Amino acid sequence: MKRSYKLVKRFGLALLSCALLSSATAVYAEETAPGVKGMSEEEFTPAKEVLTVKYVDVKKPYHMDVDSLKGSFQDATGITVPLQMQDKAFPNGGGSIQGAEVKAIHDGITIYFQITWNDPTRNAQAIAIQEYRDAVALMFPLGAVEITPAEHFSPRMGDREKPVNLWHWKSDWEADLLVKGELEDVEERYPNMHDDFNTNPYSPYYHRDLITSIAVLSGGRAADNLISRPGRGRTVEDLNAEGFGTLTTQEHQDVNGCSKFEDGAWTVIIYRSLITQDPHDVQFVPGGKTFFNMAVWNGAEQDRNGQKNISTQWHPAVLEKVAWQ
Amino acid sequence: MTLVHNWHLGRRMEYPYFESRPKRQFAAVFNINRCIACQTCTMACKSAWTYNKGQEFMWWNNVETKPYGGYPQSWDVKTLRLIDSDNNVWYTDDKDEKLSPYGVYEGDTIFETAARKNLNQWAVGYVPEDKEWRAPNFGEDVAVSKKQDEFSTLPEHSRWFFYLQRLCNHCTYPGCLAACPRKAIYKRKEDGIVLIDQKRCRGYRKCVEQCPYKKPMYRGLTRISEKCIACYPRIEGKDPLTEGRPMETRCMAACVGQIRLQGFLDDNPKNPVTWLIRHAKVALPLYPQFGTEPNIYYIPPRWAPRSYLKQMFGPGVDEAIDKFMVPSRELLAVMSLFRMTQSIIFEYAIEQGPKVFETVIHGKKFEMFNDTVIGYGEDGKEIVRTTVEEPIHVRDPKHYNSI
Repeated sequence: MKRSYKLVKRFGLALLSCALLSSATAVYAEETAPGVKGMSEEEFTPAKEVLTVKYVDVKKPYHMDVDSLKGSFQDATGITVPLQMQDKAFPNGGGSIQGAEVKAIHDGITIYFQITWNDPTRNAQAIAIQEYRDAVALMFPLGAVEITPAEHFSPRMGDREKPVNLWHWKSDWEADLLVKGELEDVEERYPNMHDDFNTNPYSPYYHRDLITSIAVLSGGRAADNLISRPGRGRTVEDLNAEGFGTLTTQEHQDVNGCSKFEDGAWTVIIYRSLITQDPHDVQFVPGGKTFFNMAVWNGAEQDRNGQKNISTQWHPAVLEKVAWQ
Repeated sequence: MTLVHNWHLGRRMEYPYFESRPKRQFAAVFNINRCIACQTCTMACKSAWTYNKGQEFMWWNNVETKPYGGYPQSWDVKTLRLIDSDNNVWYTDDKDEKLSPYGVYEGDTIFETAARKNLNQWAVGYVPEDKEWRAPNFGEDVAVSKKQDEFSTLPEHSRWFFYLQRLCNHCTYPGCLAACPRKAIYKRKEDGIVLIDQKRCRGYRKCVEQCPYKKPMYRGLTRISEKCIACYPRIEGKDPLTEGRPMETRCMAACVGQIRLQGFLDDNPKNPVTWLIRHAKVALPLYPQFGTEPNIYYIPPRWAPRSYLKQMFGPGVDEAIDKFMVPSRELLAVMSLFRMTQSIIFEYAIEQGPKVFETVIHGKKFEMFNDTVIGYGEDGKEIVRTTVEEPIHVRDPKHYNSI
């Protein structure tokens, strides 16, 4: 008792200043930016469970689809990532999906992530104004970083000078791949709607100038926005971010994916080569460690942008060595 | 949130960004009393900007019949409901010419309601569904009618409707700009025009949701949103017709009823737009209580019930209608400038002319002088000259029947 009193007497001032400092940082965290609430300490602590990216000799199928690739994931052990509503940056939202199962494999050349989650409705179109797509995204810290509670690295869209690489799979991009011109057009949603755009050159209603004006007078296409571009040839968008509101499409797209919706559940496989030439991409080394985080959008609940189901922690992932290593 | 001054509300209000007014603000005055709803403005806009694929439902400019019409349907009623039942409470005993010309709004704006209700987004709003956009002139010419009245007489008709001409208000505090989570919407410093960056937009539709006037629109073809661009190439003087001078937008220039005058709101009291809005106070903002400080101003229709008009244009309605019904010498001259030129008028001057007419309107003496009004361009050069009395040209009897 006497000893502890002595301790308090000796270190009292230091303890008091520590307490004051921590409360000061708490206040600082509360006011990070307008519309952004501060983050708690545990969000800066990565999850304990480690995802093992199993080395599997994937027999790469001619058509990359879930059914052909599913077998390769059989021996991989997955982790369950808990999801919750996004409650820090405006607009808040999400909360309809509680969790997703993630499995990962690599074959020394390509890395594959399989994400499975329950969603009673398939929303694979975003043409009507009130319709939103189902989507999933994986996020990786850019560069070789060790994430510890001492070294704050935001698990939510990264931070200034701490960029992240994001892979955003979109259900409607997958539907786009299956149609002529590789972009579902307004007729897909409104088959009986009148429009002046008869694309048949032998029709008496064909108007060449009108048809060729589509690209010029579609702002998104003229500005070469990847979301508006027909014939993207992929279902996953490769992006970077440095905090809320900074999400930017990469000039060079490297990621692809495939999906299957069955019995009220989405299975999405996202794949990319372990190494790329792009300095804005995350790189994977067999035997090495990385971190990932994820978010799921439920189109039926009007999820889009920050209105999403997120994991609030980084998850470590370790790549198994390849057979010859 | 930061505190910014909104002179429509006569007070400071909460907004996510700091107050940053443009050098001059794109603005227009619409005289509702003269509109015949011919939709020439609507078609001028359509044929210039929204005739393309995926824009079939898009009308950046539209004219709707009030009170029943609305594009998208019931947009105003739905947004008014979202703010509160006390959305039209004003304190008008104390006014300041510069800071609070209409008095002080005591209710909540769309931004303040979202903050008070802890909605965790910047403003209240809703996304209208496709069916709500589908019939842009729904309710056309449908009047409100009290069946017991045989005749309607001024000051308020018992059987009434009026036309409301709408385009993007290029607000000083845009709801769309506040709502965009990735700052893809920006307001230009040089003229206050609000634009959506077509490269940065990702089609989240937060702007569609939180613009109270519902003027950003989602295009299914490109999967991103678009909005009125205030014909900015014309505003920048890119059209060869005006030889580099700023030119009014397509919808303004096409106005058959001569109800529109477009220009810039600035500090020059001899700028016709500034004079009509800030000095004569004959033109009023649309739903100022939303809190976005919209920049299209309306001369309210003199026959509609004042309570309805006050909800729509704020407490300045009585003064505006009184001034419009018995116009002053200067007001009559400035109103003669409407649609006399496509070039934007930056300043006006009046040369006095003889008295040509005298009468009594609603017990007030009215004198009409045939003054000459001159409009000057940005460079100070005269671009238009007209008289209050429309000039009459009598054809030579020899050519009575010639075309």
